Amino acid sequence: MRTCLFLFPAILLASCAGNNERTGSEPDELSASLMLETNYIKPAAPVMVYGIEGYYTGFFEAEEFDANKNYMWSNKITVSIDSLSETTLYGHSVVAGNVRPFSGTYNRADKTWQATVSEPGDDRYDGVFTFSVHSDSLVLRGTWTANDKKLAVTKRKYQLEHRVFGYDPNIDLPEDVTYTKLYGSYNEEDESVEAITEDALRFNPSVTLLKKEDIENMYQGDLEVMRNSIYARHGYSFRNRRMRFLFDQLVDWYMPVSVNITGELTDLEKKNIDLLKRYEAHAEKYYDVFGR
Amino acid sequence: MLWWSLLLVYTFFCILMLGIVLQYIPAGPDTAFLGIKQDYIELPWYLPAFYIHVFTAILALPAGFTQFQKKLRRKHPAVHRFNGRVYVFMILLFGAPSGLVIGVYANGGVSSQIAFVLLAMLWWWFTWQAFVKAKKGLFRAHRIFMIRSFALTLSAITLRAWKYVIVAAFHPHPMDAYRIVAWLGWTLNLLIAELIIYQIRRP
Repeated sequence: MRTCLFLFPAILLASCAGNNERTGSEPDELSASLMLETNYIKPAAPVMVYGIEGYYTGFFEAEEFDANKNYMWSNKITVSIDSLSETTLYGHSVVAGNVRPFSGTYNRADKTWQATVSEPGDDRYDGVFTFSVHSDSLVLRGTWTANDKKLAVTKRKYQLEHRVFGYDPNIDLPEDVTYTKLYGSYNEEDESVEAITEDALRFNPSVTLLKKEDIENMYQGDLEVMRNSIYARHGYSFRNRRMRFLFDQLVDWYMPVSVNITGELTDLEKKNIDLLKRYEAHAEKYYDVFGR
Repeated sequence: MLWWSLLLVYTFFCILMLGIVLQYIPAGPDTAFLGIKQDYIELPWYLPAFYIHVFTAILALPAGFTQFQKKLRRKHPAVHRFNGRVYVFMILLFGAPSGLVIGVYANGGVSSQIAFVLLAMLWWWFTWQAFVKAKKGLFRAHRIFMIRSFALTLSAITLRAWKYVIVAAFHPHPMDAYRIVAWLGWTLNLLIAELIIYQIRRP
C-alpha cells in the first residue's frame, strides 16, 4: 500500500507556535494577492543603463532572530534594482508574498556599488537594505534590518545572483520534490506528516490539459503542489508557508517576482486550476470523514 | 440488551446519514459530492437522478427501527404495514432506479460502476420479491427477502463506515479507497444476511 503518511517522530522543520513575520495562511494563493494590489509592481524586467539593474534572486537568511518565535529561517527573495538617478537607487523586493518598493542613496567605487535603501515604513515588515553590487559578477550581497525590533527576525543576510525572469511552461518540478514533507503538516496526535508523492510530477499542468481520470486518485498535497507549480512558473511569491517552503527550498528555477499573476495565466492553466481546486476541496472536506 | 445497543448504534449512523442528506439543501449543481461530478451534471438526467436518490433513499432507513421487532409487529401491525409500504415504494419507484442511473456514472471507473449498478439491481429485486411474497401471504419468504433488501439498504452506512476505517488505517489514494468500498460496502452485508437466513432456515 502506498502511503503518504510516514510515522516519524518529530523531525520538524519548525514548531507551530504563533504566526508572525511575512506569512499568512491563505488557502487560496490568488486571493491573498488581491490585498496587495495597491503596492503591486508589474514584473517588467528593469532596463540596464548603469549596468547593475535587474533581478537578483537567492536566499534571505535569518541572522538575528528570536528563537522562541515561529520564524522562517530562509526565504527565497528577489531584489530588483529598477532604476538609478544621479543620486538615488530605486527598486523593490519580492519575498514571502510581499512586494515592497525601496529607494535610497548609493555610491560607486570602480565596479562596486554600495547602496542603503529603505522600504516606505508603512508595512509591519519594512526595513532597510544595505548591499553592494559588483557590476562584473552581478552578485548582490548585504543585510536587511527590520524597523520593528520586536519581529521574530530583525536582521537577515543575503547573497543574490543576477537572474532574468521568463515564463517557461515546459519547465518541470525537480525529482527532489517527491517524498518531501509539507511544511506545517506534522500532526502531533499520530506523529504523522504529509509528504509529496511521485504523482505531483506526473503531469505538467501548464502544458497538459488534465482530465478528471488523471487526478481523481491523487492525494490532496500532490494536487496542491501541481496547482501551485502553475503559479510558480509565473513567478508568484507564495504567502503561505506550506507551498513557499517547498518552492523556495527545492525548486531551483523558481524565482518570486510577483504577487499578482491572475492576468498571466493561460486558458489551459485556468482550466487545470479549476479542476485541481475541485478535487483539492473535495479531498480537504471529505477524504477522511464518514461519507463518500 | 444487545438489541438496544444495536439500535443505539443504528440511530447514531442514521443521524450521520441525515447530516449528509442535509448538505444538499439547498440543492445545487455544485454541492458537496457534486463538486467532482462536473462531467456528468450536464447530462439532463444526472442531477434529477442524483437528488431523487439523496432525498428518497434516506426514507428506507426508518424501517430499521420498526420492521424487525417482533413485539411491535404483533402489537401494531398497522405500523409495520404502513412503514413497509413507504419502504417498498420508495425503493422500487425512486431509490433503486435513481441509484442505477447514478451508478452508471460512478467514480472510480468500470469496477465501481459495476458494483453500484449491481447493487441497485439487487436492491430493487430483493425488495420487489419481498413485496410480492407478502402480498401472497408467504411471510417466511417475505422475511427472507426483506433481510436481503435491508442488508443492501444498510450499505449506505457500511460503505461510508468502511471508507472511514480504511482511510484512517491506510491512507490510501482516494479513488483506490472508493473502488474498495464500492464492493466491500454491500457484499459483506449480503454475506451476513445469508448467514442470518441460513440460521432462520435451519430446523
